[in-house]
Amino acid sequence: MLSKTLLIKALIVFSLPLSIISSSFLGRYPTNPVQVLESIFSVLIPGFTGSPPEALHRIIWLYRLPRIIAASLVGIALATSGATLQAMLRNPLVSPHILGVTSGAAFGAAITLAFLPGYIPIELTAMTFALIAFLLVFAIAWGWGKGSIVSLILSGVIVNALFSAALSLAKFLTPDPHRLASITFWLMGDIGQAARWDDIYRMALIIIPCSIIIVLLRWRLNILSLGDEEARALGVNPVIERSFCAILCALMTATAVSYAGTIGWVGLLVPHIIRLAVGTDNRYVIPFTVFLGGTYMVLADDLARCLTSEVIPIGILTTLMGAPLFIYLLRKAGKVWR
Amino acid sequence: MEVKKEDPIIKIKDVSYVYDNKVVALKGITFAISKGEVVSILGPNGAGKTTLLKCLLKILKPKGAIYINGKELWKISNRELAKTIGYVPQRYYSVFAYRVLDFVLMGRAPHHTMFSLPSTSEYDKALKILEVLGIKDLANRTIAEVSGGQLQLILIARALVQEARILLLDEPTAHLDIANELKVLGIVRSLVKKKIVDTAIMALHDPIMAALFSDKIILINNGVMVAQGTPRQVLTPENLYKVYGVEFDVVERDDKILIIPKTIPEA
Repeated sequence: MLSKTLLIKALIVFSLPLSIISSSFLGRYPTNPVQVLESIFSVLIPGFTGSPPEALHRIIWLYRLPRIIAASLVGIALATSGATLQAMLRNPLVSPHILGVTSGAAFGAAITLAFLPGYIPIELTAMTFALIAFLLVFAIAWGWGKGSIVSLILSGVIVNALFSAALSLAKFLTPDPHRLASITFWLMGDIGQAARWDDIYRMALIIIPCSIIIVLLRWRLNILSLGDEEARALGVNPVIERSFCAILCALMTATAVSYAGTIGWVGLLVPHIIRLAVGTDNRYVIPFTVFLGGTYMVLADDLARCLTSEVIPIGILTTLMGAPLFIYLLRKAGKVWR
Repeated sequence: MEVKKEDPIIKIKDVSYVYDNKVVALKGITFAISKGEVVSILGPNGAGKTTLLKCLLKILKPKGAIYINGKELWKISNRELAKTIGYVPQRYYSVFAYRVLDFVLMGRAPHHTMFSLPSTSEYDKALKILEVLGIKDLANRTIAEVSGGQLQLILIARALVQEARILLLDEPTAHLDIANELKVLGIVRSLVKKKIVDTAIMALHDPIMAALFSDKIILINNGVMVAQGTPRQVLTPENLYKVYGVEFDVVERDDKILIIPKTIPEA
């Protein structure tokens, strides 16, 4: 029994590096896996003697790996935010997408793309509006509904609707049809937009520190998940600590959205899969969610790249994959949360 | 901090609380609690018992003064207070079905910073407390799988893991059958008598149980204290009629008093 859970945990952790390496074998340009490995190791391991073909080396390091790494960062950001939000709001049905934070970030990014392209970084407006979305959700849910499960979901619906409408308006008012087209494609979710190393460094600079802080906070999330009064009785200030976590989630979500568009379901789905595998204790849920979030997105992006001769926007795929998986989880997860 | 026997652990002086909607919940409550006492705050539904507990937990800020171990309550930090007072809620609605041991371990929170994790010795401590309460066999179950009486003991275990010397229980038996009610209240009483905690303060609405398990009863009604003292002093037929509007017989039996309703209301 013990060894079985240990095996599952090891599998989850190793799935991320394995999926990253094996995904670099995939693509339209036929590649020999041995040469791909040679290409990867020749950069990673100093003194490694191997000479991969020049064209293949360029494809791996300029096209495939950046895209794969970007996918894993986006997955880490969205899944970790989802698990954090679920714990701190003691609500297994929330995710950045459902609370409207993704829409807020998308709206923020879209107004920059539509009206001020190149003047300010889109992450900045995305983060600002992600935080505004959070504030709105909290204000509505706590102002009128005492933060209950239903009131949180409803305020998410409201904020989502609000920012979706604002987004449509921004698209409607976009002066240039080419920009409109690029906004529309970007909104469908596409990892390929982030597939340059400078973009990846900028993403990693936000997503990795934020997820490390959340991993360090993982036991505290257990306490927050008991509810305000009990957290207070245990000497924790729930308002301050929840706000702190919310800011981390907003930063990560906004970063993911500004590079890859709106990608739904990851933040909801991955933590639920993890809870089925390792139980509900956030000391395990959070770190394993980080790994599986990365893996899930890398695999989804593999499908997006390789399923057809065109690259399918990944946001469409995660939803197509997520909805039926979540129906299955709802049936199965009844005993983990109620 | 060592408390001398004669010093009250908790002193409440002229405490009043008015809710935002101008409803007076507490008015001029004054009493003191000493080490070794099991205290019931007794009164019908809506008497102000929960409000009083919330004042003691720093959730509500009343007029008047509250002293814990001689220190003014509002000068104690939340974290310090959590090491002093262990709160046992009336009921716990679990959203996530934590394992019982992990749930009890969360009582260690006041001894940790935001970023630290519980140690193995803290695990052992939690296991030992489960053993003391006779529920060690539940350690690996989830809190969604235990009965109401067991859950109440688990919540008490969590408060003990906090290493708080004062237990505050909000209607600990409101949802329990009579056997579990006797068990939970008996355990709470023995924790005080075995000096595992200094005192236990329970909000109760049932005078029959209060008579059986408390050393001291604070009887309140409509936010006003009607009487305080030993069960014999407080639970007189007159006081009970005043508070509950029901006539009771009070019968002496060994060293206890039994309370029996005189008339059964009919439709």
